[in-house]
Amino acid sequence: MSDRADGRRDDPGAERGASTAPVEGRHGGPQIGRRHVLRLLGLGALSVAPLPVLPTLLRAAVDIDEPPRPQADAARTADGRIRQWTMIIDLRSCDGCQSVDKPPRCTAACIEGHFAPEPMEWIEIFEGELPGGGTQFIPTPCQHCQNPPCVNVCPVAATFSTPEGTVLIDQDRCIGCRICMAACPYDRRFFNWGNAPVPPESLLADYSPEHQIPVRKGTVMKCDFCPDMARAGTLPYCVQACPQRAIYYGDLEEDIATNGKVLVSASRFLTENHAYQLKEELGTKPRVYYIPGHGAAAGRDAFTPGRQPTEWPWVERVEGAVTWQR
Amino acid sequence: MNLITRRAAWAAIAFLAVGASAVALAGPAFASHVSVRTTVPAEMTVGDTVRIPVALSAADGAPLQGATVVFYLHASFAGVVGEAEIGRAVTDETGAAALPYRPRLAGQHEIRIEYVTPGQGAVEEVSTVFDVIGGEQLYRSAPGIDIPGLNVGLLIAVVAAVWTILFGVALLLVAIARAGGEGGAPGGGEAG
Amino acid sequence: MAALSAWQERLEETALAPVRRTGLRYWALVAFLLAVIGWGVYAYSIQLRDGLIVTGMRDRISWGLYIATFVFFIGISHAGTLISAILRVSQARWRTPVTRMAEFITVVALVCGASFVIIDLGRPDRVLNVFVYGRWQSPIIWDVLAITTYLTASITYLFVPMIPDLALFRDRLSGRTSRWRGWLYRAVAIGWVGNVAQRRSLGTAIGVLMILIIPIAVSVHTVVSWVFAMTLRVPWNSALFGAFFVAGAIFSGIAMLIIVMAILRRAYSLQEYVTEKHFVYLGYLMAAFAGIMIYANISELITHGYKMEEGVEFQFRQLFLTQFGPLFWFYLLGGLVAPIVLALLPRTRNVPGMVLAAGLVTTAMWIERYIIVVSGLRVPLMPYEPASYAPTWVEWSMLAAGLALFALLITIFTKVFPIIAVWEVAEDHEAMLARPDIARPAALKTPELAEGAGR
Repeated sequence: MSDRADGRRDDPGAERGASTAPVEGRHGGPQIGRRHVLRLLGLGALSVAPLPVLPTLLRAAVDIDEPPRPQADAARTADGRIRQWTMIIDLRSCDGCQSVDKPPRCTAACIEGHFAPEPMEWIEIFEGELPGGGTQFIPTPCQHCQNPPCVNVCPVAATFSTPEGTVLIDQDRCIGCRICMAACPYDRRFFNWGNAPVPPESLLADYSPEHQIPVRKGTVMKCDFCPDMARAGTLPYCVQACPQRAIYYGDLEEDIATNGKVLVSASRFLTENHAYQLKEELGTKPRVYYIPGHGAAAGRDAFTPGRQPTEWPWVERVEGAVTWQR
Repeated sequence: MNLITRRAAWAAIAFLAVGASAVALAGPAFASHVSVRTTVPAEMTVGDTVRIPVALSAADGAPLQGATVVFYLHASFAGVVGEAEIGRAVTDETGAAALPYRPRLAGQHEIRIEYVTPGQGAVEEVSTVFDVIGGEQLYRSAPGIDIPGLNVGLLIAVVAAVWTILFGVALLLVAIARAGGEGGAPGGGEAG
Repeated sequence: MAALSAWQERLEETALAPVRRTGLRYWALVAFLLAVIGWGVYAYSIQLRDGLIVTGMRDRISWGLYIATFVFFIGISHAGTLISAILRVSQARWRTPVTRMAEFITVVALVCGASFVIIDLGRPDRVLNVFVYGRWQSPIIWDVLAITTYLTASITYLFVPMIPDLALFRDRLSGRTSRWRGWLYRAVAIGWVGNVAQRRSLGTAIGVLMILIIPIAVSVHTVVSWVFAMTLRVPWNSALFGAFFVAGAIFSGIAMLIIVMAILRRAYSLQEYVTEKHFVYLGYLMAAFAGIMIYANISELITHGYKMEEGVEFQFRQLFLTQFGPLFWFYLLGGLVAPIVLALLPRTRNVPGMVLAAGLVTTAMWIERYIIVVSGLRVPLMPYEPASYAPTWVEWSMLAAGLALFALLITIFTKVFPIIAVWEVAEDHEAMLARPDIARPAALKTPELAEGAGR
C-alpha cells in the first residue's frame, strides 16, 4: 500500500489502494484494506446479530401481552400424563343421517354448539365414491395432524399445536393471509370473509382459542376437537349428537376411546378393524382415523346416494350479516 | 280319580326330573365345571408389555385346548363407565394362553377374563385386580419443521451476510461523501 | 474533439430536458393516473369496511387476483437485475443506455408488489404481527425477508450509479430550478466531485452491488414461488417452481422493460441512445427466455401428465379444455410462441414488432400467474363440487390502481431523476472512440462517427 497523495490515512471510510488510475465501473476494483474490511464485517455482524431475537425484543419493547394460550393446563390422565386426543369414525355406522331423514346431526350439533357462522361446516360430511360404484359418507373434522401443513406455514404462529396434539387457532393474532388455507390438504379451514351471521348471544362469550367465539372478521376458523369440553370429561358435540354413535373420541395416551355408550381400547379397535387415515401418503399424520364402511350397520344400502343439506339456524336472527358460498 | 292323581303325579315327577336334569346339564354355568385361572404379574409399569397368563381346565381337571378367552379392562372415560376389550387368546394343548398387554394408566385396575362355552353360551369368568405404577409420557407432540442444528441458524447467517455487505456499501457512500469535501483532482474530466 | 463535446453536450441536454420542461401532456397523464389510483383507494376503503367478502375469493379458492398481481409485480422487478446486473457483469456494453430505466422499474415494481400482499390480508391492521411474532419457518416470512432485502439492495443499486448524474443535475440546474429541487440534488449527489477517491469508492460499490444483487433477486422470486410450492396442492407441489418462477420473472421483466423503454423513448426523444438495436437485442433475450419457459412448461406438463396422478387429470382438463382453456392457450401461443416468431421474422424485428411482442408477453405472464393461483386452488381436495372464482369490481379496481401507481411512480421518477445513465453512456462512447480499429456493434455508432472518419 503506497502513500496517498492527499494524505488521508486515518479516514475510516476512505479506500486504501495502490493505483491512482481512473476507476472502471467494473468488477475487480482497487484493493480495500484488510482492517477496513474487518471493521466493516464486524460492524455489519453486530448490526444484524439481534435479528434472531428481534421478534422477542420487539414484543418486550412494545410491552405486548401474549394472548392467553391454553398451554399450562393441558388435559391429563389420572396419573398425570398429557392426553393425546384422537377421533375414530366408524364408517360402518355412518349413513349420512339418511335413516333419521335430517341434515347430518354431527354437523348440526357442532354448528349450534360453537355458533359456527354460515357456511362453515367444521365437521363436514363428504360423500365419496366407492370403487364398486356406491357411495360412502365421510364425516371430516379437522384432522389435527401431527405434521400439520397449516402450522408449518403460518407466518405469525397464529395456528399452533397444543401438547395434547390438537391444532388450534388464535384469532387475536391471525393476520388473515390464508396461506394455511392453501396448505391444508383436507379443505378444513374456513375464513371469515365478512361479518358472519352468528346469534347475538355469541358476542357475549369470553374469547379463547379453545372457544372461538365471538367471531372475528378477517381470520380463519376450524374444528378444534372441543378441547375445553374434553378436558372437563365431556364428549365433543359431534360425538354426542351422532344417532348411530359412529364417532368415537379417545385418548391415545391412555389408549381408550368411547362413542358415548361403548368403551374400546383405541389401538385394538383401530387395528382389528383395519382403520386408515385420509390421504396418509401426504405424511400429515392425522389424529382422525376411519374404519372402512358405508353405513351398513345403520341399515344403509351403498347405492342410495344423497344426504340432506346442512342448515344454520340463526341466519334470520342477526342484522347486517352477510352469508357467502364456500 | 286314583288314575288321574297317579298320572298327574308321574307327570309332576317327570317334569321335575326333566327340570333336574336341565339344571344338571346347565350345571357348569353355576357349578363352574370349566375353571378359568389367571395369575396377573405382580408389577406392571405403564408402557411396558407384560403377558397375562390364563389357564383353562375342564371340570375333570383336563386342560381345555383351543378355547378362546376374551380379556376386558374395566375403565371409565368421558363419563362412560364400562369394559373395553383388550384382547383375545386361544389356549394351547396345555390349556394355557397368554395375552400380551401394555398397561396405559397407572393405578388400580380390574381385568375380567371370560370364556364362553361354545354352543351353550355358558360364561366362565375370572376377575382380578392389579396395580400399575405410573410411567412416562408415551406420545410427545412435536409438530412443525425442525431441522436440528441447521434450521434458523443458516437462514440468519445468510441474511446477516447479505445485510453486512449492504452495510459495507453504505459505508462506501459515506466515504464518497467525505471525499467530496476534500479537494483532489477530478479524474478524466467527466461528470464534473 | 469538437465532435465529442458536441455529442456529450447533446447527451446531457437530453438527460436534463425532462427536468427542465414539463408539458401539458405530463400533467394530464399524472391527473389521469391519480384518478385511477383514487378510485382504487375508494375500492380499498370498501374492502376495509366490509371485509374481503367484496372480492370474489371464497373458502375453496382463497387466493385470487391480488396474489396473482403480487407475483406478477415481483416478477417484473427482475428487469433491473437482468439488465443492470447480469449484463453488466458480462460487460455487454449495449445495455448502458437502458440500465437506469431498468433499475427504476425494479424499485417501483417491488413497491407495487409488496402493497398487493398487504391488500390481500384479512387483517391489515395486524400486519406488524409479522415482525413481532414472525416465524422463521414460514414461507411468508422468507418473502418478507427477501423482498425487504431486495428492495434495499435495489434502491441502493439505483442510487449508487446515479450519483455522478445527480451531480451533473446539481451543477447544471443550480439556480435555474426550484429551491427544493436544488436542495434535493445537492443532497442526493452527496458531494460528488469526481475525484480519484470517489471514483474508486463508486467503482467498488457498483462492483459489489452488481454481484450481490443477482443472488438476492434469484432468491426473491424463488421464495415467492415457495409460498405455493411448500403446500400440498397438486398443481403446486413441484420442485421445479423455484427455477420456473425465476425464469418467468426475468421473462416478464424484459417485456415490461421493452414497453417502458418504448414509451420513454418516444416521450423524451431518446432515439439516439435507445436505438432499434436495443429493442431487437432485448427481443432476442425475450425470445430466449420464452424458449426457457416453453421448456419448463413442457417439463412440468409431461412429468405430471404421463403419470396422471390423482388430481392431475382434473387439472389438465380445466387447464387445457374447460375453465381456463382460453386463458391458458393465449398464454402458450400468444405469450410464449409469438415472441419467438416475432423475434425471428425480419419483418417484425423492429421497434413496433418488439413492443407488440412485449405487450403480449406482459399480458400473458399476468394471465399465467392468475392461472397458477386460481387453477391450483380449484382442484378439489375432497369429494365436493369444484368452486368457481371471478374477480369483482373491487379487485379489478385494485389491479388498475396498482398498474396506475406503477406508471405514476415511473413518470414522476423521469421528471426528477436522470433517465439515462449519462456518465456510463459517455464513458462507453469515449472508450469506443479511443479504439476505432475495433469492430463495434451498430448500437454504439453515432452519426458523426459514421460520417467522419474518426476524429
